[in-house]
Amino acid sequence: MGVRVNPNLIKDLKKFGVKDSTKCFNCGNCTAVCPLSTEETPFPRKVIRYLQLGLEDSLIKSPEPWLCYYCGECSTTCPRGADPGEAMMGLRRYLTSKYDWTGFSRKFYTSEAFEIISISIVAILVGLAFYLFHGEVITDRVALNSFANNHVIEIADLIMGGILSIILLSNVFRMAKFILGDKLFKIPIPVYISEIKNLIIHTITQKRFSECEDRFQWIIHLFIMTGYASVFFLVVVCIRWFQRDEILPFFHPIRLIGYYSTCAILYGTTYAMIGRLKKVKPVYKNSHPTDWMFLILLWLTTFSGILIHFTRLLEMPLSTYVIYVIHMMIAVPMLVLEVPFAKWAHLAYRPMVIFLTNAKAKAKEAGIITD
Amino acid sequence: MDNKTGLYICTGCGIGEAIDADRLIDIANEDFSPSICKTHSCLCSPEGVESVKADIDAGSVNKVGIAACSSRVMYDVFDFTIPTERINIREQVAWSQPPADRENIEDDDTQMMAEDYIRMGLAKTDNVLPLEPFKSEAEYAEAILVVGGGITGMSAAIDASRAGYPVVLVEKADELGGWALKLYKKPSPPPHYTKISDPGVKELVEDVAKASNIKVYTGAVIKEISGAPCMFDVTIQKGTETHDERIGAIVLATGAVPYDASKLGHLGYGNIPNVIDHEQFEAMAKKGAINRPSDNKRAGCIAFIQCAGSRDEDHLNYCSATCCVESLKQAKIFKELNPDGQVYVLYKDIRAHGHYELLYKEMQNKGVIFIKGDIDSISENGSGGIKIDTKDFLSQTDITLDMLDLVVLATGMVPTTSIEIETEKNQEEDNSEKTDAPAKDAPLENMATGKIIASNILNLNYRQGPELPELKYGFPDSHFICFPYETRRTGIYAAGSVRAPMDISQAIDDAGGAALKAIQCVELSKKGLAVHPRANDISYPDFDMSRCTQCKRCTEECPFGAINEDEKLNPLPNPTRCRRCGICMGACPERIISFKNYSVPLVGNMLKAINVPEEFDEKPRILILACENDAYPALDMVGINRLQLSPWIRVISVRCLGSMNLIWIADSLSAGIDGVLLLGCKHGDDYQCHFIQGSTLADIRLSKISETLDRLALESERVRMLEVSITDFDKLPGMIKDFEDTLEELGPNPMKGF
Repeated sequence: MGVRVNPNLIKDLKKFGVKDSTKCFNCGNCTAVCPLSTEETPFPRKVIRYLQLGLEDSLIKSPEPWLCYYCGECSTTCPRGADPGEAMMGLRRYLTSKYDWTGFSRKFYTSEAFEIISISIVAILVGLAFYLFHGEVITDRVALNSFANNHVIEIADLIMGGILSIILLSNVFRMAKFILGDKLFKIPIPVYISEIKNLIIHTITQKRFSECEDRFQWIIHLFIMTGYASVFFLVVVCIRWFQRDEILPFFHPIRLIGYYSTCAILYGTTYAMIGRLKKVKPVYKNSHPTDWMFLILLWLTTFSGILIHFTRLLEMPLSTYVIYVIHMMIAVPMLVLEVPFAKWAHLAYRPMVIFLTNAKAKAKEAGIITD
Repeated sequence: MDNKTGLYICTGCGIGEAIDADRLIDIANEDFSPSICKTHSCLCSPEGVESVKADIDAGSVNKVGIAACSSRVMYDVFDFTIPTERINIREQVAWSQPPADRENIEDDDTQMMAEDYIRMGLAKTDNVLPLEPFKSEAEYAEAILVVGGGITGMSAAIDASRAGYPVVLVEKADELGGWALKLYKKPSPPPHYTKISDPGVKELVEDVAKASNIKVYTGAVIKEISGAPCMFDVTIQKGTETHDERIGAIVLATGAVPYDASKLGHLGYGNIPNVIDHEQFEAMAKKGAINRPSDNKRAGCIAFIQCAGSRDEDHLNYCSATCCVESLKQAKIFKELNPDGQVYVLYKDIRAHGHYELLYKEMQNKGVIFIKGDIDSISENGSGGIKIDTKDFLSQTDITLDMLDLVVLATGMVPTTSIEIETEKNQEEDNSEKTDAPAKDAPLENMATGKIIASNILNLNYRQGPELPELKYGFPDSHFICFPYETRRTGIYAAGSVRAPMDISQAIDDAGGAALKAIQCVELSKKGLAVHPRANDISYPDFDMSRCTQCKRCTEECPFGAINEDEKLNPLPNPTRCRRCGICMGACPERIISFKNYSVPLVGNMLKAINVPEEFDEKPRILILACENDAYPALDMVGINRLQLSPWIRVISVRCLGSMNLIWIADSLSAGIDGVLLLGCKHGDDYQCHFIQGSTLADIRLSKISETLDRLALESERVRMLEVSITDFDKLPGMIKDFEDTLEELGPNPMKGF
């Protein structure tokens, strides 16, 4: 007895943004034209076939969606308008929700109302916390560390970071188990260790993306990613140097990193938002609500961060405190919700999948595991 | 009649530069003494043509030789009332040979070739007799008989009647409509590919009724057809009465029937009550609900199995072209009746021809799931549903479809001509055939006649059998691609799904095509002209009956069944059935069959006119007999493309290699010609012969040439037959060179000089 065909899966996947895949007649042009598809892991045709038949188990085991960077070449080439690129995007959302054991991700992706309400709730909680527990409000000069003590923020940051990491890493572990199955433990540790260098390179450079037809998209993505990662590093790990009352000299590394992150994120997100509004590229043609939410939150976080910087330089204490609270009310929900449950999770999944598939290939080559 | 031949040599198009035309006139005068010999710098110009016409009108000439371009061009310009022979010195001499060396003209190969062609042309002109079209004493009929009153038959009848021809329409059932009567809806013809519409039988029946010149026989069959185009005598049996009709040409539109699903037990038909075929689905749709036959419960989940018994060696070995679109249509009907229902289509390849691609896409969009794969098993799942195990070819996954309420088998089409029906008459014939079956040359006979299935449709009173010979799988067409509608019986044109699998909109177009073919046949036959492929040919074969030995070869080998026999086995030619290929001429051992402008002695004289140089001249001679349909045009193409041909060849165009008589080979080799190259069309399964069996027959006959060559003590390598299509022109010089090399190895023909 074979696997049961499930015609309802495709209806479910629609909520994740998989739209036109029923139109696919499996010609394989998408796979032929994809610069990243290989004989070992061919895509997108294969996973589209899985989703057409509703083969959920096969889908969950597929690493392919994470190997795609959505250059959109396949969607441009598709003779049927089945939009394989968007199908891969939708599958990444679907898989994110499948890896997430809390079930929160699924809700987040499938209900726009839930997404907005949950973000609003976290934002209000953050606001409320500041309202109730803020420090002394000094009005004759800007004293942010009196208003919101950076040591307290640091502790809160680390607690938040810890919880997020635990959830995200547990999801990453689930993903690894889905993709490799028993082989996860059969591949010897040295093989994994030997691949760590590649993992780091891929995480930082995303060099696979540069193999795509549209290299500019890689640059934009790299701006957003590095800007985001560096500012994350600043606010979560280095908050005690980053949030301080005396202004650092212009060429201080922390200040320079701050400027880079701000510019990179602002440029990247603005470009992406204009792109999505004008639908200039295949990758921007379809926008899931979570795509917008992510861009808007990131843009607003950055923008409010810039405002804080200016009000501080202009020595406007009250405005600084108010904007600071608003900044936190945007940034915290974005981090808390997007990192383990939504779009930001791909920051971990994508390099991990490359890491796992490389390790698997290596182990297979060495004859340690078979297919 | 005295020969008063006029030879006109054109020096335009580079002929004058390549050949010494004045010398050609000397040669002609020396050997043939024509009445007039002239050159003209542009013979096809109005002045050039006028000069020929002036000589004809003055009565100075009664035959014309035009030494200019190939007969394949300017035929409308050199169209005179008297026998006209075209001598090709442009494409095959001036354009494919180096220019003659005027310093050494006596020994120049190009000049010698042109001179030989002049001799050959004049030898032919001298022997050609004036042509008169065939005219029978019998009454000529114009009516078109349409056999089969389905969509195709009615469309053909309406088309022919609108063109002004009386039509006799014969339908076996008691009402017109045929297969389409069973249909609920049909896929819409262009441009509404995604819509489905009424089959449109009613409108056609009304149009047939409105037409004053269509005579309809329903509940009637053809008892017998005898005669030939324009003089068919048709006996129609309606109940106990018989009616006689005199008919000009026939359109066969008896359609196809679905493949018998009861032979598809492996797909559950007959074993599982809820496995049905397209026909049963259509009947359900007509009633307005798709229910399970087992318990009449509404079906919620159905699967179509495509290629059920099609493209399958054990059943139908071909694709019926329409079943995919039919299933898509039925899926649409099902989704309209039951929007929440689930549909699966299990297929080998979806062949949604033309823009039915859009219907396919629409059904995908509506949630129909398409699975490419073979059926591993189909069984009842115990709770009233059907379970199918298959392997999805594209993802290489074993999958199961469970809880199917209904499985619809998309069965293919079986042409009515392929269904053998035992009638008293053909049984009798079978018995009589066995008693005097000719054992001699039996394979040859089968090759030529093709398989005839006694399907009790036309009941032809032909010596060759009662129905049309099949091409493949029982379809009576003669060539699916090159000659649609043409069957191997002249004046009978097949249309619709009896000819090839097709859908309704294609069948309607087909009906128009076949009706036009039938009308063309009537019009040409009335004037005594040939039909396809030698359309408008005025010549026809004469039989010198005093010398006939009743060997029956001509009747057996004619691919078109044109010749009947009397009780004494004398051939009875039917010129309006004849396609003028000359295959009978090639068959006749007594050489009693000839055309006024094409005969065994005529070609014999042509090849004897070739001047064969002495052995020490080291100028071999190769005779090429080239089929006029592909090989001869290919030789012209060599010249048009300015490629070089061997200087030793001398080409004679033949109507078909099947018309070649072995005596020509013997004669040319006796005359000292070093080798004979036969260029014909591809034969065998994917034949390209315009006369179906001509090149096959030539090949078989040639296999018997060794006796002749042995008698002359010559090597059999001196004769070679090659298949050439018009697109092979670039390979031709190489093919000829290869033959030349073989001949060089063999050395000169020892018969030279005898």
